[in-house]
Amino acid sequence: MSRSLSIYGTRRALTPILIVMVGFLTICPVAMLLLGSFSEGLGAFGTFTLEKYIKSYTDPELIDIIVNTLVFIVGSALVATSLALFLAYLNTRSNIPFKFLFQIISIVPMMIPHILFAVSWALLLNPSNGLINLLLKQMFNLEHSPFNIYSLPGMILVEGLLDLPVAYLIIAPAMASFDISLEESSKVCGSSNLRTLRKITLPILRPAILASITLVAIRSLESFAVPSALGMPGRVYLLSTHIYRIIATGFSADYGKAAAVGMSALAASITLIVLYRHLTSEREKYVTISSRGYRPALIDLHGWKVPLFIIVALLCFTLIVLPVLVLLYTSFVPYSMVPSFKAFGMMSLKHWLSILKDPVSLLSLKNSLFLGIVGATLGVILTFFVSYTIVKVRTPASGILESLSFLSFSFPGIVIGVGFMWFFVRTPLYATLGSLLIGYIATYLPYGIRPLTSAFVQIHRDLEESSRVCGGGMFYTLRRIVVPLLIPGIVSAWILMASMFVRELSVSVVLSRPGNEVLAVQILRFAEDGLWGKLSALGILMILASTTLVVLASIVGTRLTKLRGEREGV
Amino acid sequence: MKKLTMILISILLISPCFLSAAEPQEALISKAKAEGKVTYYANITAIEPVMEAFTKKYGVRGEYTRVSTDKFVATVATEHEAGKLMADVLQAPIPILDILKAKGVLASYKSPAASDYPKWTSKDEKIQIFGIEYIALIYNRELVKPMDVPKKYEDLTDPKWRGKIVMANPTTHATTISWLVGLKELVFSTEDAWMKFVTGLAANKPMFVSSFGPTPAPIESGEKLIGISMPKYILTKAPAPLDWARVEQPLLGTPRGMSITTKAPHPNAARLFFDYWLSKESAKILAEKVGEYVLSSGVFPPINGIDKARVQPIRELSDDEIRHWAAEFKKIF
Repeated sequence: MSRSLSIYGTRRALTPILIVMVGFLTICPVAMLLLGSFSEGLGAFGTFTLEKYIKSYTDPELIDIIVNTLVFIVGSALVATSLALFLAYLNTRSNIPFKFLFQIISIVPMMIPHILFAVSWALLLNPSNGLINLLLKQMFNLEHSPFNIYSLPGMILVEGLLDLPVAYLIIAPAMASFDISLEESSKVCGSSNLRTLRKITLPILRPAILASITLVAIRSLESFAVPSALGMPGRVYLLSTHIYRIIATGFSADYGKAAAVGMSALAASITLIVLYRHLTSEREKYVTISSRGYRPALIDLHGWKVPLFIIVALLCFTLIVLPVLVLLYTSFVPYSMVPSFKAFGMMSLKHWLSILKDPVSLLSLKNSLFLGIVGATLGVILTFFVSYTIVKVRTPASGILESLSFLSFSFPGIVIGVGFMWFFVRTPLYATLGSLLIGYIATYLPYGIRPLTSAFVQIHRDLEESSRVCGGGMFYTLRRIVVPLLIPGIVSAWILMASMFVRELSVSVVLSRPGNEVLAVQILRFAEDGLWGKLSALGILMILASTTLVVLASIVGTRLTKLRGEREGV
Repeated sequence: MKKLTMILISILLISPCFLSAAEPQEALISKAKAEGKVTYYANITAIEPVMEAFTKKYGVRGEYTRVSTDKFVATVATEHEAGKLMADVLQAPIPILDILKAKGVLASYKSPAASDYPKWTSKDEKIQIFGIEYIALIYNRELVKPMDVPKKYEDLTDPKWRGKIVMANPTTHATTISWLVGLKELVFSTEDAWMKFVTGLAANKPMFVSSFGPTPAPIESGEKLIGISMPKYILTKAPAPLDWARVEQPLLGTPRGMSITTKAPHPNAARLFFDYWLSKESAKILAEKVGEYVLSSGVFPPINGIDKARVQPIRELSDDEIRHWAAEFKKIF
């Protein structure tokens, strides 16, 4: 009796503890920005004023910007999620060959610095001399370039591809831990594979699909690289570039006013989260791993095998091979050149040597690796408990926890960094690696929470309850029952966080000082000098660093899953 | 010739006096050494060679944090107000230093090395101007025929450049806005002529990028042929086929200033660094390695023809003016 009381106690105590922790992490910077948006002058503490809100929201351009932004985020969310569904389904549920490709497709775009990815695409699809445009013009004798990357569809395509990993890492674990018996029943009743997919598989995956759409939409709402590198040349402005214009015009950047506009992004994100919670409120509906044995079965693709594989290979080529080749090429040529005999003749290791000899670049590599490993590990531990509370300890307070976790993530990136600066400058952590670590975890909590909650949702309470009935305490149950079932989700969360931290820019650019330089800030420096060669070389080192982390995480994940399988087998 | 020899001899004879006058310099060096390092927040990029030369020469570590224009005031003011300003020396466009001066961030310092600079560069006791962020029409010399290279700014409005120009966004980028306004005040004879230039430029549908940094790449690759950019890229991006149009009018640019902070954690190192930065030795590194246009007499970046160019500073525009013109350019472009 006393034992079960104590379990009840730990579970109850968990929510307030986590609310305090997560709240502290995410409210502090946002509260500073809120103060700033109501303060006269440029700091966080000035005389109260509403002027910043009045000025920002009476701007006649705002309507167009909001419409563009909506099209952009909905478009990117749909592109990323449908691609992720397609890939995850083929990978986990079919007998398509070369499955390792999927692992690569789903992760590599996340490791490429977004600005580089956008620039690579501009090199391929710009209307003046984009390589693909030139090729098509020659092949079909066209007068004008068929594609223009500097447009809303171009931006949606690139952002959708960039956010594909986020979508995939949420959907794939859910797809992997799918109860096959449901599909089998459908087939027994005479449904075709396609109909089963439509009527059974997709509806069961609804929480994961919605989670992916929500996260990608929020992610693209605060995305800056694509709107700035592709939108600005085409004069398509979104909320994030509009905020940039507010900050960048003139010398005394008013972050308070930028925060005032940012509040609408925050409101939009919170609405999305509330909507998402509402749509997935009847959680029991989605539980698919119960105490019965489960093992997803493979569907034979028959004649579809080759055409589907060609599509995947093409995706793989455009998503990874092409941009990485462009990067590699740029790192060898002395300046920006269209590939030609001359360009190949001029290739050298100049940029590589200068990067490898540059102490700051090497230090930034070391710091970013440290932040990636330590940050993701701490982040996963924290978000594990947060997700557990959100899904399993269903009190109204856990709803608060979920919304809190999104606070600093949903704030436009170019502003949130300043919020952290306003906050950290009042603490002894200011300008240390520690402030970066905390800032990263606080901002990217959803990267841990989303894959973990969508994995938690699928584990039936019966499993935990059986363990507890047999006398297992809460932590024992977590360790022996819950964690092993969650390995794919945990690995996804760790990978998402680690590769995000290795290339993080928004928070770093404000908090990085000599001694704690990080990769993205160093890359930005090169970008500001137009040194694309050095930038690409360092970008490749960055991709290598994240790849190493991802490969290690995947190996550990596979080992643990196998171990579990063996144990179960016994 | 004889006269020159005499001058040289007299300089040699007088120089020991300079040495004795510089003796307090020794004291400054040893105090700076005791402080160990100097922290420099600068908006100018790629100045590592100067920092290294300083560290090597004095044994005082020069640390450089690049702070971009849009974060400069926010960063420095936030740190200053919290009593945590880490910078000893600041470098930024003049309007930024003016804002910081009003907030009490800047200290007075008259560097002996400033005597080598034109009078107008000592704006007041707190701000010293040392260079100009100079702007020119940069073109791809492999793709633009010599006869097509603009001979005056107005040539850029020729319809042949339609869709072939790249520039920093004139509705946000402060330096580009200042440059356009500078043309009105210093180059064009009438406001109508200037307006014709601006509307003609807009009619050629230039591609906008966020700042100068991304302007050279599209010119190098041939995506665009010409741009409103900085001649320093000719040096830093060599062997890219870039060159600058020798227009008959002057080149314009915004002045670069620097100051010491009131609560500099390393006040002696700050002064030593400030003096060094203004010295000929450092000016030469800035010109030769970074391509900067410095105001130290007789020092020029090794870019063909720049030593003969007339480079004029643009009047500093207040934030209100910048925002006013940004809104105007939004209507035109």
